[in-house]
Amino acid sequence: MDKLETAEDIIICRNVHKWYGDFHALKGINLTVKKGEVIVIIGPSGSGKSTFIRTINRLEEHQEGEIIVDGILLSHDVRNIAEIRREVGMVFQQFNLFPHLTVLENVTLAPIHVRKWSRDHAEEVAMKWLTRVGIPEQAHKYPGQLSGGQQQRVAIARALAMEPKIMLFDEPTSALDPEMIKEVLDVMRDLARSGYTILAVTHEMGFAREVADRVIFFDGGQIVEQNTPDQFFTNPKHERTKLFLSQILHH
Amino acid sequence: MADLSPQLPKTRSTTIPFWRDIRVLGVLAQIAFVIVAVMGITWVVRNTLANLDELGESQFICRDGTSSFRCAYDFMRLDAQFDIAETPIPYEPSDSYWRALGVAAVNTLKVTVLGVILATVLGTLAGIARLSSNWLVSNLAKWYVDLMRNTPLLLQLFFLYFSVILVLPPIKEAIQPFNLPIFFSQRGINIPAPVFMPSFAVWLAFVVLGIIQAQVLWIILGRQEELTGKSSNRFRWALVSFLLVVGIGWYVSGSLTSTQAIMTPKSLRVREFKDLQKIMLNRLKLADLGDIELALSNGTLTQEDIDAAAFRICAQKESASEVNLTSQLRNANIPYTVKRSTRLDQATEAYANGECEILVASQSLLAAEREALEDGANHVILPIAETPVRISIPNLEGLNFVGGAKLTPEFAAILIGLVLYTGGFIAEIVRAGIQAVPKGQSEAARALGLSESQRLRLIVLPQALRVIIPPITSQYLNLAKNSTLAQAIAFPDLWTVSYTTINQSGRAIQIMLIVMGSYLSLSLIISALLNWYNRRIALVER
Repeated sequence: MDKLETAEDIIICRNVHKWYGDFHALKGINLTVKKGEVIVIIGPSGSGKSTFIRTINRLEEHQEGEIIVDGILLSHDVRNIAEIRREVGMVFQQFNLFPHLTVLENVTLAPIHVRKWSRDHAEEVAMKWLTRVGIPEQAHKYPGQLSGGQQQRVAIARALAMEPKIMLFDEPTSALDPEMIKEVLDVMRDLARSGYTILAVTHEMGFAREVADRVIFFDGGQIVEQNTPDQFFTNPKHERTKLFLSQILHH
Repeated sequence: MADLSPQLPKTRSTTIPFWRDIRVLGVLAQIAFVIVAVMGITWVVRNTLANLDELGESQFICRDGTSSFRCAYDFMRLDAQFDIAETPIPYEPSDSYWRALGVAAVNTLKVTVLGVILATVLGTLAGIARLSSNWLVSNLAKWYVDLMRNTPLLLQLFFLYFSVILVLPPIKEAIQPFNLPIFFSQRGINIPAPVFMPSFAVWLAFVVLGIIQAQVLWIILGRQEELTGKSSNRFRWALVSFLLVVGIGWYVSGSLTSTQAIMTPKSLRVREFKDLQKIMLNRLKLADLGDIELALSNGTLTQEDIDAAAFRICAQKESASEVNLTSQLRNANIPYTVKRSTRLDQATEAYANGECEILVASQSLLAAEREALEDGANHVILPIAETPVRISIPNLEGLNFVGGAKLTPEFAAILIGLVLYTGGFIAEIVRAGIQAVPKGQSEAARALGLSESQRLRLIVLPQALRVIIPPITSQYLNLAKNSTLAQAIAFPDLWTVSYTTINQSGRAIQIMLIVMGSYLSLSLIISALLNWYNRRIALVER
């Protein structure tokens, strides 16, 4: 594998396009993410923000442009795809835990079958992460026996157990009851501060203000505006951004 | 402060008339059901008893000539006096009705068990094929499913039996697809079958030993892993050591037991197995026995030459030693013919008369047979190699296939018919089961870096099974009960033989009770097994 760019830039997207049939979902996305950077992506629904982060680990295929993750070109080569997926963890809106496996089995599954760790080692690492997200005592329960917030924290531990360099969050708090949002955000805040590269699609503006290095505003399949959270929220430049912020901040 | 406690509605009274009380209604419904059920059962029992009375006491004759209810099933000990075409356990027309029904029950079990296994395999493949992105594969599967689901099973069975199997060529021109040792003819399907040698028992001991030592190795490596914290790939090592022991056992058990031998006249000058090969090369004047086919095609040898040169072997019918010898001769390309006798002493007699050059049997038996020969000193006994299992291959001799296993046309028709029909339904169940697993599960598996086969095996199939098991249970039950359609093509299953028994003995009620009880037990066993499995894989929810 050639190291295509400097080590500093861990994700590079150049002119990324995606179509669903006739619908042009991504219209030329250019974005470079530095190692350790925390990026929050916001925008109205249907703006392509989820589609965009799903192209980074090939859950969605892009038709034009190039994506380079950790020096690996994302192409049709299954070996490249597998390599990138090993380095990129993802947390979904609907948790997507495996209901037929216990919490511990959910977390150890990929380390054992993809990283080929021994079961004992995988379980040790899994317990470390379950402790970090605050639910070591639930290890032997099944996902169906946990609350939504606990399930989402298991999902985060499951992604982290693969020791990825990049974490993608696709609206991780949108399916949660209000009192459970905080426990998930606390975990995310903790991760952001410990040096992970994070791309998060979220509507939690407090989280964005507090931990993001950069806020990106998506609309109509394009990046309309990006800036530091301070500048972005206090001094938005684009009309569309102002309208969006006024709608979500004054409801 | 506002009063938030709820106000009782004033207009309705708090006492409910009993005809609107849901608790009273529930009890009344149960009482009504019990009354109807008791009346129904009473009617059936009284009707049956009345019919029995009408048939007279001839139904219940005991052996001492008196008549009593207790002797209702005594007639089952009488001779059945009819023949059964297919007997997986020994049976003669002079055996009792009990035995006849037992034979038939084994036939039904054979069809059901094989049918369930094969239909599951076929249905799973067809179900996955329907989800394939390949147009041809998914449409083939779709047409198969539609054809099977939209035509009556009885029609399919008739078609299969009369229009496919019975119009196959006569046995002399049996179809042999891809030159495999499988033969399709009017008389059914002949396939190779394993034959277990005496050393098989010794080999089984090695298998057990292999399992134990692999288990021990597994535990030792596990301890070591705990100490060093490194993965030592213990599954691979345990498997390798198991295969090693079993593989060594395969050869050791063969040479340890070596119970089988051949007897040849001294004049033939056979000192070891290889000599047979040399003698044959001499007879055929060839440099290599692999050239027989070539020599046949370019005319240097004729089939008559080969038949004349072939070793003539005497053996007891269906003996393991015959299969052991002939499979080795076949591997070495040595032509042979076998003369089979019902008993070993008949085979020895044929050998003594010079009808054959080789007599094959177990070593100890051969020694005894040599004693019986007048010129015993002129014959040598030579042990032959043995492996725990040899494959017996069907071979056309005269007007029959010898060796291998045989599916009769009737058995083949009912089995293939049931498998094709039920497989169509199972395919749809499997497809629905796979599609019922949410897309998010596959996305999460992919995002974690699992390969496509890991995704199917670890995530999708285990969850699809939960949806698949309950409806597949009823397909298995359907298959078991549909096997009674065997009567249409005269396969002697439990129902067909029971029907004959009813006609012959005139005891409809007794036989019907046996038949209903048998199918009920079969169905209950199938459901119990699958319910147990379903509980095991059920999801734990709050």
